[in-house]
Amino acid sequence: MNHDAVADTLAEQVKAIPGGEMLMMCYSCGTCTAKCMIQEKLEPNYNPRRLIREAVFNLKEAAFTDQTTWLCSACDLCYPACPQKIHISGVITAVKQLAVAQGEQNPYQVARVDESTCVACGLCVQVCPYEAISLVEKKVPFRGMITVASVDPGKCMACGMCNAACRSTSIRLIQDFNDNIVLENLWSWLESEPV
Amino acid sequence: MVDAARQPLIEVKAYTEVEKVEGFVGNFKVTLREKAKYVRADRCNGCGACTKACPIEVPNYFEMNLAPRKAAYVPMSQSVPLIYNIDMDACIHCYKCVEACGALEAIDFSMEDKVIEEDIGAIVVATGFSHFDPTPMTEYGYGRFPNVITAMEMERLNNSAGATHGMVIRPSDSIRPQRLAIINCVGSRDKRYNTSCSNFCCMYAIKNALLLKQMNPDMDISIYYIDIRTPSKGYEEFYDRAREAGIKFIQGRPAEITEDPDSHQLFIKSEDITLGRVIEHEYDMVMLNQAAIPQPDQDHMSSVLNVAQSPGGWFMEYHPKLRPNDSPTDGIFFAGACQGPKDIPASVSQGSAAAARASRILHSETWQIEPTVAVVWPDRCVSGKGQACGICERACPYGAIDYTKGLSAEVITAKCHGCGACVGECPHDAITQLHYTDAQVLAQIRTLLAIEPEKKILAFRCQWCSYGGADLAGTSHFEYSANERGLRVMCSARMDADLIYEAYRLGAGAVLYSGCHPQDCHYITGQIAGAKRAARLDKMFARLGMTPGRFRTEWISAAEGDKYARVINEMQETLDSIPEDQLKAEIERLKPEMEKKLTKLGEIPGVEEAMIQVDFIVNEMLNKVVPA
Repeated sequence: MNHDAVADTLAEQVKAIPGGEMLMMCYSCGTCTAKCMIQEKLEPNYNPRRLIREAVFNLKEAAFTDQTTWLCSACDLCYPACPQKIHISGVITAVKQLAVAQGEQNPYQVARVDESTCVACGLCVQVCPYEAISLVEKKVPFRGMITVASVDPGKCMACGMCNAACRSTSIRLIQDFNDNIVLENLWSWLESEPV
Repeated sequence: MVDAARQPLIEVKAYTEVEKVEGFVGNFKVTLREKAKYVRADRCNGCGACTKACPIEVPNYFEMNLAPRKAAYVPMSQSVPLIYNIDMDACIHCYKCVEACGALEAIDFSMEDKVIEEDIGAIVVATGFSHFDPTPMTEYGYGRFPNVITAMEMERLNNSAGATHGMVIRPSDSIRPQRLAIINCVGSRDKRYNTSCSNFCCMYAIKNALLLKQMNPDMDISIYYIDIRTPSKGYEEFYDRAREAGIKFIQGRPAEITEDPDSHQLFIKSEDITLGRVIEHEYDMVMLNQAAIPQPDQDHMSSVLNVAQSPGGWFMEYHPKLRPNDSPTDGIFFAGACQGPKDIPASVSQGSAAAARASRILHSETWQIEPTVAVVWPDRCVSGKGQACGICERACPYGAIDYTKGLSAEVITAKCHGCGACVGECPHDAITQLHYTDAQVLAQIRTLLAIEPEKKILAFRCQWCSYGGADLAGTSHFEYSANERGLRVMCSARMDADLIYEAYRLGAGAVLYSGCHPQDCHYITGQIAGAKRAARLDKMFARLGMTPGRFRTEWISAAEGDKYARVINEMQETLDSIPEDQLKAEIERLKPEMEKKLTKLGEIPGVEEAMIQVDFIVNEMLNKVVPA
């Protein structure tokens, strides 16, 4: 067997990311799904067990577009319930990181920094439970080379802690947009406008 | 049980604890504590008048505390021997039982525990198993919700001699349940509690479901499972019958049970794996099929009997496939679930087998053991000179070495199985193994490497696995390099570092260190000791700058003839890839290092010197075995 091919599978990539190591131990008992608050309150089709299955069987596209990948809030209700001690939110985060790395867009919210007002006080870095925010030096229009907060969309779980902590209201949750979303919005705006 | 009690050659010692087991096969000295029953066995006729007279009631553990018993009691009416017992923790000393007993005068409050010592030839351990208490699994609410019960409680509710005379009622309001859920794998197959599968619960859930369905065909019964395991003869047919009877099987481990606090109705939330959808159903009663776990005093028993425990706490058998009945200590056998969870047919077969194995010992005048036992040379054992050591004792998988600080170590020959782990580990060359003495193995090494040693691959093989693998390679006509020279020892644990050094000192081209796969070792933990030593050697040779591949460790089973041939061929390729001059230079460079190592460990083990040791030991043995 070609070892490069093995390392290419989604399961191997997930296993290589801290938190995703125990992926293969899942025996599909469904406890995580039945325990999940998001499944119960928000999205009936949400299913961590299915996502693990998709990762195990290298169904990349299915895993990356699965709502489970993007909706998990890492509340870890499932983690202590799992009889195989799999850190399920760790696996989901790993899949999400891989999805972002491959250019997938988060269909839901992520935190976004308003660089024109950010003062790089670092409060958001401290409160973020997912270590998704870091301070980076970059060139900002009209402000020159300054230090600002930056959000890693692969790690952000859209919990809103940073939003609440920010003193200069420079960070908030918005829908991550790409060209398609902009175009879609533009079209709907044009269509709705009275001629 | 009644039959056993009536058989004149069987003595039943109920309410007796084993305190100490000493000695060895055929000659055990067992100390027993016969606990005071406060009722004289020779006088009690089992009439039960004392129970009727006793005013004290406490929960009956035999009924899973669902029914009371008196302070003067037998746990159940079929108890063998039928002799009553007074529970001193509950007794208020009203002496009404003494009055009720009357002229029989069987009750004796002055009784005390009796400690007796017995000569025992063979021991069968049948201490059984215990049940996992599901209280810590708060998601299932056992202990909080009255209608969540365990399998054993259901067993008593459903028993015509039980607390409710066989009426299954729910504890909260005594109504007969119409909707019942059975949850499998409660505390088993669960890394938070017990990792292993409890073996019989799937069948047990199906059995209970069918029994309840027979009593009340309208009952709606669902079994929640992760996997249903029906591996034995007729079991799958039984599973089919349950499906035919209308029992619902739901694949999905329930995440949570919630309760309506007024009606005490229960709601189970789980994912239905087949539908891929989360479902919630209402039930009147829930039965938790809890895990089988070792007895709470299994650790204590294991130290009393001096038998090891497997991961999980069960008693460890000699060999999982070939000798599942025997303990590693000769003369001690296991029957039933004390060795691992098993169902009734398996326990009965193991019980019969254990009895047969034990009777082999009882019917023998003498007992033969492997001749390859280890022997200590007291002159060299540093423990005898007052130094702290005890390495051999820790190395022995069988507890056959008696180590006391200040005295030289001693091998209890009857317990020794001849793996040679102590021989390999002893840093002072103070132990040797008969038939595999250092002298014998060294002589073989020297002969095998006498001519052109740099071209040879010296293969250390263990008797049980890799030697068998090499054998299979031969009988299967798998071709491998003719430069291989095989050498047999009993276990990879016997492959002393000295022997490897000696091989390289003599200029061996390559050395193979091979043995059983970790779980297959025929000497419990021998392979583990061997593997540790091999890893140590590998590291050291790498540090000394030996070409990688000249020392190789491989675990080859007796069925892996092809692997043996492949490994040898790969080693030959490695040797071929090193230019001859370079190899010779490397051997010459390492020779002083090897000599240094051998010197550090005592002296360069010469055959002559080792022979002196053998002569000495054989004489010692003869003196011991055949007293003059």
